[in-house]
Amino acid sequence: MGDPDEELLSRVAAGDPAAVRALVARKLPRLLSLAGRMLGDGQEAEDVAQDAFIRVWKQAPKWRPGVAKFDTWLHRVALNLCYDRLRRRREIAFAEPPERADEGPGPDRGLMALDTGARVAVAMAALPDRQREAIVLCHYQELGNIEAAAVMGVSVEALESLLGRGRRALRAALGDLKEGRHDP
Amino acid sequence: MTLERFAALAEAYGGDVARWPQGEREGAAQLMAAEPAQVRDILARADDLDAALAAYSPPRVATGLVDRIVAGAPRPPAPRPFGWLVPAGMGAGLAAACAAGMVLGARLSTPPVQDPDSIVAAVSDEDVGAYFDEEA
Repeated sequence: MGDPDEELLSRVAAGDPAAVRALVARKLPRLLSLAGRMLGDGQEAEDVAQDAFIRVWKQAPKWRPGVAKFDTWLHRVALNLCYDRLRRRREIAFAEPPERADEGPGPDRGLMALDTGARVAVAMAALPDRQREAIVLCHYQELGNIEAAAVMGVSVEALESLLGRGRRALRAALGDLKEGRHDP
Repeated sequence: MTLERFAALAEAYGGDVARWPQGEREGAAQLMAAEPAQVRDILARADDLDAALAAYSPPRVATGLVDRIVAGAPRPPAPRPFGWLVPAGMGAGLAAACAAGMVLGARLSTPPVQDPDSIVAAVSDEDVGAYFDEEA
C-alpha cells in the first residue's frame, strides 16, 4: 500500500514552494480538526498545528519511505502536542486550585441551553482523554480501526471499547437526542 | 453475527455500516436481512448520536496561519554566487575533468561500503520511532 503523501513530502524536502503550500493545504484542516476537538480551543489548536508543521519541516529531508505512513505519523505528532498541553492544564489546575468549589455549569449542566454543536463540544471536553482521542480519530478524522489503534498504541479491541464507552458517555450527556430526530 | 455484536459495533463505529471494519460488514448485512426491525432500532439510535457529532465543527483557520507555517518550511537551495560568470565551455571542461577523476579514483581505490542499514541510519531520525513507542 503506497503512501499518498510520500511524493509531496520528497518535494517539500527539496524546498519546492508549491509542494510546501500543497502539503499545508492538505494537512492543516486535518490538524486543526484533530487538535481543535482534542483541546476544545481554536487558538491552542492553531499553536499545535504550527508546532506540528515545524516537526514536519524538520523530518521531511530525513523521511524514510515505507517505515510509517506520513498521515499516521502526523496524527501521532499532533496528539503528543495535544497531550503536552492537556498535561500542562492539569498541572496548572493542581498548582492553582480555585478559591472555592466551582458551582457554575458542569459538563452536563446547562447543555439544554446551547445549540447541538456547542453541546457536543462541552460533552466531548468532559470525556476522558483516551475516549475523546478514539472518537476524534475514528469519527472525525475518519481513520480506519487498524490505523486509529496504531496511532493510539492499543489493540483494535481496546479501541472499540474506548469508542463504545465514549459514545455511551456522550449519549448520556446529550440525553435529549431523540427530540431532534424526525422519523419518516 | 449476533445482535449483541451488531449493537457493540454500532456503539463503537456509529450507524453507518459502511464505516464499520471491513471484516464485519458481511455479517452485519446478513443480520440486517434476518432481523430488520431490531437492527433498524440499533442503527437509528447510533444515527442520532452521529448526527449530533456532525454538528460539532472544527475551528476555522485564522488569517495568517498558513503564511506563518509556510515561513518555516525548507527553502530551495540558494544559487551559487557569480555562477552566471562561469562560461559554458569552462563548465563542460570542469565536468569532463571531474568525470575522468572519478573513473580514475574508482579504479585506484576500494569502493566504499554501501550497506543499506548504514545509509538508513545516517539519514534517519529517532523522531519516527519515538512517536510510536511513546505511550500517550
